[in-house]
Amino acid sequence: MTENILTCKNLVLHYTAKKGVVKAVNGISISLLKGESLALVGESGCGKTSLAKAIIRLLPRNIHTYNGEILIDGQDTMKLSEKQFREEIRWKKISMIFQGAMNSLNPVLKVGYQVAEPLLIHEKMKKNEALERAKKALSVVGIQESFVERYPFELSGGMKQRVVTAMALITNPAIIILDEPTSALDVITQANIMNLLKRLKKERGLSYFFITHDIALSSELADKIAVMYAGEIQEIASADIFYKKPAHPYSKKLMASVPTLRTDKKPEFIVGSPASLINPPSGCKFHPRCPSAFDKCIKETPPTFDLGSGHLAKCWLFEKGWGKE
Amino acid sequence: MNNSEGLLKVENLKKWFEMRKGILSNPVFVRAVDDVSFSLGKGEAMSLVGESGSGKTTLGKTILRLYKPTEGKIIVNNKDISNANPKELMWYRRETSIIEQDPYGALPSFFTIYRILEEPLLIHKFGNLEERRKRIHEVLDEVRLTPIEDFASKYPHMLSGGQLQRVAIARALTLRPKLVIADEPVSMLDASVRIEILNLLRELQRNLGISFIYVTHDLTTTKYFSERLFIMYAGKIIESGRMFEVIHNPQHPYTEALLNAIPDPDAENRKVLRNIPPGEPPNLVNPPSGCRFHPRCPYKMDICDKKEPSTFEPEREHYTMCWLHEIK
Repeated sequence: MTENILTCKNLVLHYTAKKGVVKAVNGISISLLKGESLALVGESGCGKTSLAKAIIRLLPRNIHTYNGEILIDGQDTMKLSEKQFREEIRWKKISMIFQGAMNSLNPVLKVGYQVAEPLLIHEKMKKNEALERAKKALSVVGIQESFVERYPFELSGGMKQRVVTAMALITNPAIIILDEPTSALDVITQANIMNLLKRLKKERGLSYFFITHDIALSSELADKIAVMYAGEIQEIASADIFYKKPAHPYSKKLMASVPTLRTDKKPEFIVGSPASLINPPSGCKFHPRCPSAFDKCIKETPPTFDLGSGHLAKCWLFEKGWGKE
Repeated sequence: MNNSEGLLKVENLKKWFEMRKGILSNPVFVRAVDDVSFSLGKGEAMSLVGESGSGKTTLGKTILRLYKPTEGKIIVNNKDISNANPKELMWYRRETSIIEQDPYGALPSFFTIYRILEEPLLIHKFGNLEERRKRIHEVLDEVRLTPIEDFASKYPHMLSGGQLQRVAIARALTLRPKLVIADEPVSMLDASVRIEILNLLRELQRNLGISFIYVTHDLTTTKYFSERLFIMYAGKIIESGRMFEVIHNPQHPYTEALLNAIPDPDAENRKVLRNIPPGEPPNLVNPPSGCRFHPRCPYKMDICDKKEPSTFEPEREHYTMCWLHEIK
């Protein structure tokens, strides 16, 4: 029986900004099974990265509201102090590969030390021992052990991405958050990194929380897809359902906008621009761009409807069930 | 390689950049474009695809004579412009233009949109005030920045990324060029805006009969954009042909790898590993001997690291630089 490794309930994260309160994460409930990968997709500025940061609790200073429930491996992390969270959860149970992380390696430190750093900080390990572990972690991601002595400038982009992957793996976390892990890489290198992530998932039973704006790429890892718009999850569906028949009008639009290589489908663009997180539209936040919007959508925020077997959609069309709309 | 009735013909073009490690050391050369030949017809659109560092941007800029070629010829309308000096190039500047990747950096922030669009007209002494105004309104209408009067008086910071790129496109079209090179015109834009801008470019290219070179790393978008596809690797065009044939019947192992690397949205993707060669593109200072792809190639033969492949034509108008297609 598989169990939830990560559960969020009604998670809220709002920031204070000059122009008002930025409602980046707005009552999100989401769960991830052990060994399962979830892809979080959406346009830029919809709050994807904020949701990840709320989960791993790496927050900026200008927090307005931060509440809800987060269970990581059965532990209610919202009740932990910052010190406890750092010692017990962050990097031990959940780690993260940040967007553009490969370009934030410290240029004056050897790669080995940087990979070993989480062990020195989170496990208070001795330096020699940690470096040995770093060698092992590098070989797991396909880099020769001797590279612990190299500096970042001696590595190519793909190798640097492997190094930051090794950093995220070294403490053996159960969950890894991948925030656009290949956005600065060429397609062939990207495919190589995806192969690596697939292999690691299989060998180690890892759970990925994979953030991307690229729908085609999301299908490389996702067992389950969550579509985010304006700080809310609009649809959650299994990969088998989502790529064939998404339910929510926004998901349909997203799928239709993907250029494909092997089919003759012409990609379409989504009219209008993404909703503001400061002054979001009333009712359903997608209604100004939605081709199926009706009166109710403008007035009332839709609840999340269950379309069966874990398929959820936040849209009034499904008030009477799926296929009956 | 074909199409003699062309607008543009490039013959054995090379662009090497000199690089010195110290003042006294011998220079080394980065062979960004190394012996490239092709031609482009009037009103034809081609896509030039390659990974970063493959030389695709350098090739584009050399064709526009923003760089001076190291060797080889660039022939436009039967005129050889490879060694022309800046004065002799004025007519060429007027007939060509470029749309670059970053719309935020491409437009001067202290000019209004009107002034930005007027600049090329002033430089090339186009018409009088009224004719210029008419032309500017025309191009703003073409890129659909309406209401025109509103946009003309705005400054770049007041526009979104997509709108800025429309201004950059409008500016590229003000002098009614015959050849436009768009270098990653949408890679900095939001995914939802990309398709919109590409559709617009394609439409303008067709309506105005412009010859177009779309330079990109993103193979999936080229399909909707051009008739012919050129694949570049380590400074060379290793495959070229009609779009459909190259995508559905790639002849070079590198093109095959590139196509294999790109996913279409499909739930089956997560269950399989992609068949991709390891390694990364070579250093262009010391490229591998023979075929430049040989260290990564799954079909490597004895000849591949010894002799550079010539260009073969395994299908009609479908060319590849790979020994696999040598007719014995």
